[in-house]
Amino acid sequence: MKNTIKQVFHSGKFLVGFFIFILILIICFVYPLVVTHDPLEMVGSGNFYKPGTYVSQQEAVLDPFYTLNIDASEGKLSLLLGEEEIEKMKEYLVKYAEVAESEIDTSDPEAMVELWQERYDPELKAKGLTSAKRKSYRRLDGEIKDAQKSADLIIAEKDSETGELEEVKKIKGTSFVNTKDILNKRTFLLGTDNFGRDVLTELVAATVVSLRIGLVAGIIATVIGLLLGLLAGYVGGLVDNIILFLTNLFTVIPSFIILILISYSVGTSARGVMMVAVIIGLTSWPWTTRAVRSQVISLRNRDHVNLSKLSGHSLARIIFTDILPYIASYVVMAMILQISSGILAEAQLSMIGLGPATTRTATLGLMMNWAMQYAAHLNGSWWAYFPVVIVIALISFSLNLMNTGLDQVFNPQLRD
Amino acid sequence: MKGYKKYYGQKLFWYLLTLIFAVILNFVLPRLMPGNPVSALAARAVGGMTDSRAIEKVINDYIQKFGIDKPIYQQFFMWLGNVLKGDFGVSFSQYPRPVSDIIHSAVWWTVALQLPAILVGWILGNLLGAVAAYIRGIFDKAILPIFLFASNIPAFGMATFLLFIFAIKLGVAPASGGYGYDLIPNFSWTFAKSVISHYQLPFWSIVLITIGGQAVGMRSMSIYELNADYVKYARFLGIKDSTIVGYVFRNAMLPQITGLALSLGTMIGGALVAEIIFSYPGLGTTLLTAVTGQDYPLLSASTLIITIMVLIANLVVELLYGVIDPRVKANQQD
Amino acid sequence: MGNVMLEVNHLKTKYITRFHEDVYAVDDVSLKIEEGKSLGIAGESGCGKSTLALSLIGYYFAPLHYISGDIIIDGVKISDMKPDEVRKNVLGNEVAYIPQAAMNALNPTMKIIRFIEDVMKAHNIKMTKKEIYDMARERFADLGLPEEVLNKHAVELSGGMKQRTVIAISTILSPKVLIADEPSSALDVTSQKMVIRMMRELMEKGYIKSMIFITHELPLLYNVTDDIMVMYAGQIVERGTAKEMVFDPIHPYSKGLMGSIIVPESGVREHKLTAIPGTPPNLKNPPKGCRFAERCRYATPTCSAMAPEIKEFDNGRTYRCLMSVRKIREVYENGTEPGNETESE
Repeated sequence: MKNTIKQVFHSGKFLVGFFIFILILIICFVYPLVVTHDPLEMVGSGNFYKPGTYVSQQEAVLDPFYTLNIDASEGKLSLLLGEEEIEKMKEYLVKYAEVAESEIDTSDPEAMVELWQERYDPELKAKGLTSAKRKSYRRLDGEIKDAQKSADLIIAEKDSETGELEEVKKIKGTSFVNTKDILNKRTFLLGTDNFGRDVLTELVAATVVSLRIGLVAGIIATVIGLLLGLLAGYVGGLVDNIILFLTNLFTVIPSFIILILISYSVGTSARGVMMVAVIIGLTSWPWTTRAVRSQVISLRNRDHVNLSKLSGHSLARIIFTDILPYIASYVVMAMILQISSGILAEAQLSMIGLGPATTRTATLGLMMNWAMQYAAHLNGSWWAYFPVVIVIALISFSLNLMNTGLDQVFNPQLRD
Repeated sequence: MKGYKKYYGQKLFWYLLTLIFAVILNFVLPRLMPGNPVSALAARAVGGMTDSRAIEKVINDYIQKFGIDKPIYQQFFMWLGNVLKGDFGVSFSQYPRPVSDIIHSAVWWTVALQLPAILVGWILGNLLGAVAAYIRGIFDKAILPIFLFASNIPAFGMATFLLFIFAIKLGVAPASGGYGYDLIPNFSWTFAKSVISHYQLPFWSIVLITIGGQAVGMRSMSIYELNADYVKYARFLGIKDSTIVGYVFRNAMLPQITGLALSLGTMIGGALVAEIIFSYPGLGTTLLTAVTGQDYPLLSASTLIITIMVLIANLVVELLYGVIDPRVKANQQD
Repeated sequence: MGNVMLEVNHLKTKYITRFHEDVYAVDDVSLKIEEGKSLGIAGESGCGKSTLALSLIGYYFAPLHYISGDIIIDGVKISDMKPDEVRKNVLGNEVAYIPQAAMNALNPTMKIIRFIEDVMKAHNIKMTKKEIYDMARERFADLGLPEEVLNKHAVELSGGMKQRTVIAISTILSPKVLIADEPSSALDVTSQKMVIRMMRELMEKGYIKSMIFITHELPLLYNVTDDIMVMYAGQIVERGTAKEMVFDPIHPYSKGLMGSIIVPESGVREHKLTAIPGTPPNLKNPPKGCRFAERCRYATPTCSAMAPEIKEFDNGRTYRCLMSVRKIREVYENGTEPGNETESE
């Protein structure tokens, strides 16, 4: 036994898988200790805030300033120059200033502005350049110049009596705030989701729930599969035929469909996290049954089993001492696969809207479902679903690697 | 020949039996559940708690047609009779479209998407796996972990990756639907072009997923076969490697075919969910609309059709297998 | 004295285990077989006889590696040839091999005749399918195999039939040397007899010019081969004619091997059953002295320190022991343990 475990930990595949899986588990345990926010707290009041650190604007203005000799106009420029303005500049440059289109790089506002300053002639009269158009170009030119001047911003207060604005503070172009000074800030490493929740914190919580679903589903499927497999393999005869028939039946009829039918029929009120886990477990036993049955059949007529039978040992004793120890490795491997497929099943079920009917708990599948419902995949909010996909893939990757590693140790034929 | 006849006879009989069980399950399972959607329907109709006349009409129609107020075995035969006629009732969510009409238009999208995608992915995956097993070395060392990881990305995950890169970032392919939203299905060139461009991303997501899984399986199958005694023996008779690779490929393929039969259900399930990401007008998206629209008739019909599709695909695979593997014939003669 | 069909001089090979350890399973083996002669090689499992069988073929692939020594087949030194050349020009038509696990030696999904066609194709034999079929049918008939076998898949054949088919395929190109590695050990008694008869027929009908028959059952060789060699721990410990080896084994190991097997044929087994205690040495690290010393009931401390060389005696018999033949015979006759004194020549 000890030797086998040693061998298992010598398998490269198993080790890599084990390492990834343990890493995920550690993150799941440690992260909530460090970040104590409610994972489902709706911090943002809009959909899909980008990943980054959000600092209080008020505090930033009120905090002490540091003067840094950095030209802040670029940032301002890109603030000012939206797509529309850039298009307008390009149009002018190509049509009236005879700049080749290939020379213009619309993704570089600074270069555009340089080109603009070089080529823009407010007095230019050209065909098609109506006075209205000329005016709008002048306005644009003025705006660009303003932005470059790096004029100070003035914070003013309204006098409650006179209603006049009174200057309180002037913010120079060279004024900077140290983010360390700002107390009110929140970092969303993976942005926020459609409900304004911190994706990373939610993801960690969801991973824990999904792992639990996988585990419960895996245990249920393994227990059922083990019992049926033992019964079919050991008892044989009619019992075996019936169980084999059912197993074949449920391998051919897609378990996904049965999962859908049951989940839908259970109704939204009853469909909690555990219910979904149980349903998944109840529909995924055929694989384990198949594996256990064939192992037991190959064991059934081995000498040590026959010896036990002749010695008059009870069925339970034979199963526990002469059969189970020999198939334990297969059962463990089958369970690892069941856990991984259980997690995937939850995700897929949730994506067609049949996952846990709750917004109070997050699962990996539900996060995916919410992101898709709010079209995160169409509006470019990758942070709302890519991390989920990657976590699902990593969990199943690590579990499958562990399984392959074990398989290679226990089935030396497969070694390569 | 006698062996084959027996094999085919057994297979056909077994699949017919499975079909009957699948149909019964499709009918019985929802009615056994505590939240039973069918009695919920009846309750809604009887209680007069309908929110609109249309829904009330649909529900009454459904109750009448499927005899929900009658004993369950009578219900079953009424339902079966209707289903055999292709009558699944009227959809709640897309009133007054008959369910069969919705299914009819969705089925072909799904078949046209999944059948070629799974086949192409299966063939490419097996070729790559065999090559990886044969070459080993660096190619194998570099490719295998990629395939291993790729085979663990769920189909919908691959769909989001492709969608993000090719539709959102590069803008070279449309992001959703089966054809341009401004088009009406017809036999014009514009429409065909639109269908083809919408086909790419869902197709390749399924292909890539299938490749990953198959390549990994085929690689270890081939390695196993490469170590088989018959390979050594053929070598000792001076037979060329290229010929031996032919033996190995064929023999490693056989379990892959059985594997395909066993995993078709899972593969199709995954691919259906991938459809949802692209709002592809197939059965996956239909399932989603049925669930969100609380449309029981549509859901029940979709699951039944999907089951039948999987059964047919499985049957075809197993029948083909019987032709390809001589061991099947040998076993039947015993 | 006929032509020498196979000559092997000081052959040394190793195989590498999964744990990257070198095992020197064939260590300084020399042998010679003349045309029309057969040689049996006997030894316990793990003594390197299967590795020797593979090494003699002259085509090496992982985990087996060639180290040094010559293999000469009918005057052509194949140990100098490139592997591809060996495979193309030697395997199948000069040397043929019958594997130990003949049960799985045939591709299960291929018709026997297709495989024979591939064998022909591999040696650039220009024959139509019809000609190949006729030739194969004739050969099969001559060896007592039914014609239907040609159109069957390996899975449709019984174990004995499979083994005989493998033998027929291996020798279809009438090779000069046939190396058979335990061709009969996995079979039932009837099939075993048929296989042995077939091997003899192959020699008699001239389909093969010489034969090496490897087995762990020394007495079996008595009926099959002209000469017998006994192998222990990667080395040849004794060689003689079949009769000499069975009735007058010199090396203590050969003697033990004879004694440890029950043979139904009368006259062969006279001694009482004496299994050799102990296990063969680990070939990853062969002992410095005599490799059999640890298990030899006649061993002295010198045996563990000094490795014996091959010595010749009588009419070309060879053995590998520190004791002299005279001494050994004396010891066997008296049935006593030799004292501490050892004659080393």
